[in-house]
Amino acid sequence: MTSTTVPPPATPPPAVLTVRPDTLHRREGRAGYVLIAPTTLLLAVFYLYPLVQTVIYSFTDWNPASADVPGFVGLQNYADLGDAGGFGSALGHTGLYVLVVVPCAMAIGLFLAVVMNTPFRGRSVYRALIFLPYIAPMVGSALVFSYLLTPLGGVVNSVVEGFGGRAIPFLTTTPWAMVAVLVFSVWHQIGYTMVIYSAALSGIPSSYYEAATLDGAGALRRFWSISFPLLAPTSGFLAITGIIGALQVFTQVYVLTGGGPLGSTSTVIYWIYQQGFVFFHGGLATAASVVLLLIGIAVTMFQLLVLSRRDTVELS
Amino acid sequence: MTALATPEVTVTRSRRKVGGNRRTTVAVARHAVLIVAAILCAGPFLWMVLTSFKTSAEALSSPPTFLPQTWRFENYLDVFAAAPFGRYYLNSTIVAVASTIGQVVTSLMAGYAFARLRFRGRNILFVVLLAALMVPFEIVFTPLISLLSMLNWLNTYQGLIIPNVPSILGAFLFRQYFTNFSSEIEDATRVDGAGVWRRLRSVMVPMAGPMIGAFAILSFVYNWNNFFFQFIAVTRTEMFTVQIGLSQLQSQEGAQNFNVLMAGSTLAVVPVLVVFLIFQKQIVAAIASSLR
Repeated sequence: MTSTTVPPPATPPPAVLTVRPDTLHRREGRAGYVLIAPTTLLLAVFYLYPLVQTVIYSFTDWNPASADVPGFVGLQNYADLGDAGGFGSALGHTGLYVLVVVPCAMAIGLFLAVVMNTPFRGRSVYRALIFLPYIAPMVGSALVFSYLLTPLGGVVNSVVEGFGGRAIPFLTTTPWAMVAVLVFSVWHQIGYTMVIYSAALSGIPSSYYEAATLDGAGALRRFWSISFPLLAPTSGFLAITGIIGALQVFTQVYVLTGGGPLGSTSTVIYWIYQQGFVFFHGGLATAASVVLLLIGIAVTMFQLLVLSRRDTVELS
Repeated sequence: MTALATPEVTVTRSRRKVGGNRRTTVAVARHAVLIVAAILCAGPFLWMVLTSFKTSAEALSSPPTFLPQTWRFENYLDVFAAAPFGRYYLNSTIVAVASTIGQVVTSLMAGYAFARLRFRGRNILFVVLLAALMVPFEIVFTPLISLLSMLNWLNTYQGLIIPNVPSILGAFLFRQYFTNFSSEIEDATRVDGAGVWRRLRSVMVPMAGPMIGAFAILSFVYNWNNFFFQFIAVTRTEMFTVQIGLSQLQSQEGAQNFNVLMAGSTLAVVPVLVVFLIFQKQIVAAIASSLR
């Protein structure tokens, strides 16, 4: 970032600029560093520094509640992760979330975006209503779900009883508690995926479709041959943000189930929160964070490879 | 996936056959799908508002009532009696607005630089940021809270705002936006001698209007709804935000007074709704202008 002193033209300048003197590039390059400085410096202080500390603390018996200098314990925390109750299953729950919520939310969002792609009366009303769960504060909407799902007097159980079934304590029994968290999360994400897909769809020039229609392509063919490939960067982006969202799941678990019953809905972040802030096992919490970090890096590598390949399909 | 394009298929066919019936069928099917989706998505909120006016007994009655038998407006007074929600509102507003402004400004600058300027290390830095995007903020929270504690920033506005200002997602979105954007106008002004700052101010920012609007919504919503970070960075009641206050209300009222809980939820949801309705118009306008 600071090595601005030697600016050889590492990349060939774009064709438009071949007539411009090289000094212009140097000056604009310097402006580039200034423009990215606020984001990068703040990230360095409030993200990178704690990240380095996370890695260091993961090899110690750090207690966040005490001022004592943490003692080095080697890989003990990582060994304990395997034995310590709940980390493995919390990891499994996060994985389940990725496999269920991310694709479901993307598919339903794309479906709704396609259904609403051509203008018709009432479209913006539908869009606003479907977007509502995403913009509503999650603590509030999760509280509403906990009310809808409560065994005595909840609407869902009234329906169950209306069909002659017995009331199900959804949030306090397995596997219903996890099902409730997953359904809630899909419900929460649909509006977001729909709006992003809608924006991407409206960004595709209509001339592409007109040309294809003239060539005799049906709507299905136009979707698969024009929309779908051109939406690939959007899908990649939604997959990325979806997986990030999955790694962050905390609020709905905290409000709906408190991680229970018996840890059956605990996610990785929820588990780390409990270790760090309830039991003050800072070493164990940071070791778990490092595991999550490694998973994140692996997924990033995969995504970057897929995305960079897909970018070539993009509008030119 | 086949179901996806079915409505469009029938639309074109009906056009070919010049049959109005098919088109009506498609419209009905489309509305049926969307009405179900809208009820599933917005219904719980309608239920929340209706329940917030019921008595606690009626809120748990089986079978449930739709409209309140007696409208009990006191539920809202009960919420304010249970906790200083006025103060929570003020705190949430300050934190969300300041964080949003910070995120929009810094993300736009970074996104523009990554998309349009050439400087050494640009691509490597961007890849590093992308990697960081994969690793959520939440992972580093244990040492982050120690850091905020060292700075004496716990239970302060700056502690709630400044760590939230850098947004990798924002930089990513603005970069994507500027990259997909034809560079002809910017190149023309560059040839005319406009420098980076001039181009950013007079060309790029106005052109990025729709993106700024869209990202500002996402940013405001994220910051207003950001429960987790606020939850661990704040311990004192006077610095509680609406979300923390609501989660505390849950443990206070338990499973007994769902009517009061729903009144609290309504209070938390309404400001976001208002902001969203204002920005909704801007989104529609942005879509309309991009179609031109």
